Amino acid sequence: MKSKNSGKDFCMFALPGMFCFFAVVIIPFVYGVYLTLTDWNGVSKVKNFIGLKNFSGVMRDGQFWTSLLLTFKYVIFVVLIVNVLAFAIAYLLTRGIKGQNFFRAGFFTPNLIGGIVLGYIWQFVFSRVFVSIGESTGWKLFEVSWLSDPTNAFIALVVVSVWQLSGYMILIYVAGFMGLSEDVMEAASIDGASGFVKLKSIIMPLMMSSITICLFLTLSRAFMVYDVNLSLTAGAPYGTTEMAAMHVYEKAFTSRQFGVGQAEAFILFIIVAVISGLQVYFTKKQEVEA
Amino acid sequence: MGKRIMKKVISSGLVLALAVTMLTGCRFGFASDPDDPNEETKEVPIDTSVDTFEYDTSLSGTSITLLNSKAEIQVALEKMGAEYEKKSGVHVEVMPVTDGDSPYTKVVSLYNSGTPPTASILDTTDVIALAEEKAADLTEEPWVAEAEGYLTEVNGKIYSFPLCIEGRGIIYNKAVIEKALGESFDPASVTTQSEFVELLDRLVDAGIEKPVSMAKEDWSLGAHQLQYIYETYEGTSEGAQEIIEDIKAGNVDLSSYDRLSQFLDTFDILKKYNVAKGDPLGADYDEMAIDLADGKTAFWFNGNWAWPNISEAGASEEDAYGFLPYFLNDDKSDFANQKIQASPSKQIMLDGQIATEKEQAAAKEFLNWIVFSEIGQQMMVKTCNIIPPFKNNPYEPSDPLSADIYTKVHEDKAFNASAIVPNDHWAVLGASMQKYLAGRSDREELTGDIQKYWDEQE
Amino acid sequence: MKQTTIGGTKRKVTNALAMIGLIIIFIAYMFPFIMVVINSLKQKRDIIKSPFSWLFTIKGLSFDNFVNAFTQMDFLNAFKNSLIVTVSATVLVTLLAAMLAYYIVRHNNGVSKLTFALMVASMIIPFQAIMIPLVSIYGGTLNVLNHRITLIFMHTGFSMAMSVFMFHGFIKGNVPMALEEAAYIDGCTHSQTFFKIVLPLLKPIISTMVILNSLAFWNDFLLPSLVLTDKKLLTLPLSTYSFYGTYSADYGTIMAGLLLCVIPILILYVVLQKQIIGGVVAGAVK
Repeated sequence: MKSKNSGKDFCMFALPGMFCFFAVVIIPFVYGVYLTLTDWNGVSKVKNFIGLKNFSGVMRDGQFWTSLLLTFKYVIFVVLIVNVLAFAIAYLLTRGIKGQNFFRAGFFTPNLIGGIVLGYIWQFVFSRVFVSIGESTGWKLFEVSWLSDPTNAFIALVVVSVWQLSGYMILIYVAGFMGLSEDVMEAASIDGASGFVKLKSIIMPLMMSSITICLFLTLSRAFMVYDVNLSLTAGAPYGTTEMAAMHVYEKAFTSRQFGVGQAEAFILFIIVAVISGLQVYFTKKQEVEA
Repeated sequence: MGKRIMKKVISSGLVLALAVTMLTGCRFGFASDPDDPNEETKEVPIDTSVDTFEYDTSLSGTSITLLNSKAEIQVALEKMGAEYEKKSGVHVEVMPVTDGDSPYTKVVSLYNSGTPPTASILDTTDVIALAEEKAADLTEEPWVAEAEGYLTEVNGKIYSFPLCIEGRGIIYNKAVIEKALGESFDPASVTTQSEFVELLDRLVDAGIEKPVSMAKEDWSLGAHQLQYIYETYEGTSEGAQEIIEDIKAGNVDLSSYDRLSQFLDTFDILKKYNVAKGDPLGADYDEMAIDLADGKTAFWFNGNWAWPNISEAGASEEDAYGFLPYFLNDDKSDFANQKIQASPSKQIMLDGQIATEKEQAAAKEFLNWIVFSEIGQQMMVKTCNIIPPFKNNPYEPSDPLSADIYTKVHEDKAFNASAIVPNDHWAVLGASMQKYLAGRSDREELTGDIQKYWDEQE
Repeated sequence: MKQTTIGGTKRKVTNALAMIGLIIIFIAYMFPFIMVVINSLKQKRDIIKSPFSWLFTIKGLSFDNFVNAFTQMDFLNAFKNSLIVTVSATVLVTLLAAMLAYYIVRHNNGVSKLTFALMVASMIIPFQAIMIPLVSIYGGTLNVLNHRITLIFMHTGFSMAMSVFMFHGFIKGNVPMALEEAAYIDGCTHSQTFFKIVLPLLKPIISTMVILNSLAFWNDFLLPSLVLTDKKLLTLPLSTYSFYGTYSADYGTIMAGLLLCVIPILILYVVLQKQIIGGVVAGAVK
C-alpha cells in the first residue's frame, strides 16, 4: 500500500473510523477538560472561567482520596486473581479435556449480562440466597449478609468482578495457548522439563503478548468499575465500598459539584493512563526479550 | 461437538417455544395460588360520566412530556395521561427516570440535550435548585388557592405543584398485637416513649421476640429518621429551616440539643427490638413487609408508600394498619408524641425555558385538570393511590396506611414540616446512621459527623 | 515410544484431576444463573423467604413472571429496537475498525501513530467524564438525540478504539505482506486487495469482535438511556426499568425479564462459538 495515491487510501480506509472515534470520544473529552476550568454546574447558562479552582476542590475532598486508595486495593486483588485464574483455566481448557468447548462457552456466560443487572443478581445471591443457606445449615460463613460488613462487602465486590471479568480473559488466554505450537510443548516434555520450569521458561515468555493484553484490559476495567459497584453495594455499608468512579459520579450529581466531579474524573484518567502505560511498556519489553 | 451444539440449540429453542406458549395464553400445569397477590389486578372503577372541566380546545393536538421520578405510579400516570388525552386532545408522554439515575441527573442531562420534559416530578430540593433558572412561574395558577400550607416558595414565587402528601411513623399491625396480647388494642392509648417500651415488652413476653422492623437503607435512616431532629424542632417547615441555620452557624451545640438526644433514645429502642438485630445492615426491605403481614413483627418504621409492599405480602385493605408517632419523650403535651409527620413530598415543575407557550399552557391545564376535574380528582386518589394536598378533593384513599394519614391530617393529628436539606444529606449522614445502627460508632461520633456535615456546607 | 505412553498415563491422571477442578469452578460460576432460572418461576414471597428452595418444594410455580415481563417490556418492539441498533452498530464498527487498523499497520506515519496512541489512551477514559459533554454537544448544539442512528453512531465511536486495538494486533501478527504484494502484481487496487485478500484472512478476529461488540451493544444501559427517551425506541435493557421500584425491586419479573434479554444473545453465542474460538486458533497457528 505504499503508493502514490495514499491520500485516497487515507480517506477511504482511515477517515470514517477516525471520524466516529473523534466525534464521539475525543471532542467530548476535550470539551469536558475545558469544563473543569469553569464554574459551570451542569445547568446554568453562563460558564465562567475559574482556572484551577475545581482542582483545589479535589484536593480538599478527602473522600475522593479514600475512594482512590480503596480502588488501588481493589485493582490489585482483581487484576491478580483474574489473570491467575483465567490463565490456569485457559491452560486446562487447551489440553484436550472432554467437553472443553462446553466449558469455554460456560465460563464466558457472565459476559452475556450487563453490569447493572449482574450486580443486582449478586446482591440477591449475597443478601438472600447465602443468608438463607446460612440459616438452614448454620454455617458461620453465611450467617450474616456479606454486604453488611465493610471487609466482606469488599470481598464480595472482588468476587463478583473476578467472576465477571475472567470469562473474557479466559477467551484471550485460550487463543494464546492454542497459538503455542504443539512442538514446543512436546519438546519441553521430552527434555524432561518439570511443570514449573516449563511454565516459567517456556510457556510464560511465549504467552507474553496475551498477558500484555489481559493485564491492560483488567487494569483499565478494574480502575473504572462503576456498574457493579453501584448495583451490588452502592457504597454500603456506610460508604466504605465507594470506589473512585462511583465517587466521581456522586460528586458531580448527588453533591452537585459538577466542576469538581469532572476534575476528579480527569485525575482518575491521568492515573489510569500512567499506570497502564507503564504496564504495557514493561510487559512489551518482556515480549521483545522472549 | 456438533451434537452438543445441536443439543443446546434445541434446548434454547425449547425455551423460546415455552415463551410463545405463554404468549398465547397457555398456563403451565401448576395450579396457581388463589391468594397470590400478583393475581388481583383489580381495577378501581373511575366514574367518567360527570365532567364539568372546561378544556381549552385550541390546545388539542399538543404533545407534552412528563418526567416521572415516582416509579410506583408510572402505570397509573400513563392511565391518567391517556384519560386526559381522550378529553382534551393533549398527548401526555410519561417518561420514567431510569434505574441508576437520580431525577436531578436525568433532568440536567435532558436540559443539556435540549429536550427537557415539559413537566417533571422532582423532589423539593431539586425544584429549589432549578426553579429560578429553568421553571415556569406558577404563582397565578388557580390550584394554588386549594393547596394552602403545602406550597413551596422560592423568593416569594411558586414554581412547583405539590403532588402528594406522604406521612411516616411507626406502622403497626393491629391484628398481630391483639392476637398476641389477647385484648383489643387502641393505638391512641400509647402516648409516650415509656408506654411504647412497655407495649414492646408485653409483646416480647407474649412471644413476639423482636417486634420491630427497621430499614437499613440510607434514605430511610438519613432522611426519614434523622430528619426528625429538624422537623420536630417546632413542627413546622419554618422551624426546621431555623434550626438548620442555627446548626450551620454554630449557634446550637448538637451534643446538648435535646431533639437529637431524644431522637437517638427512640432510635435505640427500635434498634433494641429490631428483628434483624443480629445483622441490622443485612435487613431486607421486602422481607420486612412480609414479616409485618405475617405477624413475625408488629411494627415497621416506614411511610404510607409501604402499602404496596405490605399488600403484596398478603395484607388486604380491610386489615387494620396505621401509624404511631415517633415518640421522643415522656411528655404527653409534646406534639411529637401525639402527631405524626405528614408533608408534601414530590413536586411537579414546569419547564419555562424551552417549552413553547402552547406546551406550557397544555401542561398547566393538565395540572388544573388533576385538581379540578371530577375525573382527575378520582384518578389522583383511586388510580395513583396518593393523598392529594388539595382541599377541594373529596375522595378518600382506600388503603389503610394512606387512610390513616388522611384522617390524621384532617383531625390535626399530623404536623407538616419539611426540612430542606442539601441533596447529599441522606447519603452522607445515612452512612453515619448505618454505622451507628450497626453498633460501629457511638453517639459522640454520630453527633460529630452531623456537625461536620453542616460545617462543610457554605 | 515408551516415553509417550508414560506421558499418556500421566496425562490421563492429571486430566482427570483438572476435570474435577474445572467442574467445581464451573458450578460456582453457574450458581447465580441457576438461582435466576429457579427464582424466575417463583412468586415474590417465595423468592424472598426461600430463595434457595428447589422447584418442587414450593407451592406456586408459574410463568406469570415471564408473562408480566413480556408485556410490561413491550418485548417485541424492544427486541426489534435492540436488534436494529446492535446489528447496524456491529457491522459498522467491525468494518470501519478493520479498515482503520489495516491502514495503521501498513502506514507507519505520524497520523497513524498518533491515532493509535489516542485510541489506546481513550480506552481508559471513564464514561462519566464525557457523559455530560457528550449530551450537551449532541443534544444541545446539534439536537440529534432520540434517533436510533445517533445511538448507532455513538456505539460505533465508543467501541472503535477497542476494536482497532484488537484488529491491529491480529493484522500485525497474522497477515503476511507477501500476499498483498502478490495481489498488487496481479493488478488489484487497494480496495480490491483489502476486501478480497485481507478481509477473508481476518475472519477469526472478525467473529470475535462481532460477538464482543454485539454483546456490549445489546446489554448497554447508560448510553442508550442518555440518547433515547422516546418510548417507541427503547432497547431491551431500558425496557426493564420499571421492574426496579423506588423502594423495592420486583425480583421475579426482573429475573424473567433478564432471561428474556439474554436468550437471543445466548443463541448467537452458541451458534458462533465454534467460529470464535476455533477461528482464533486457525488464525494464530498460521
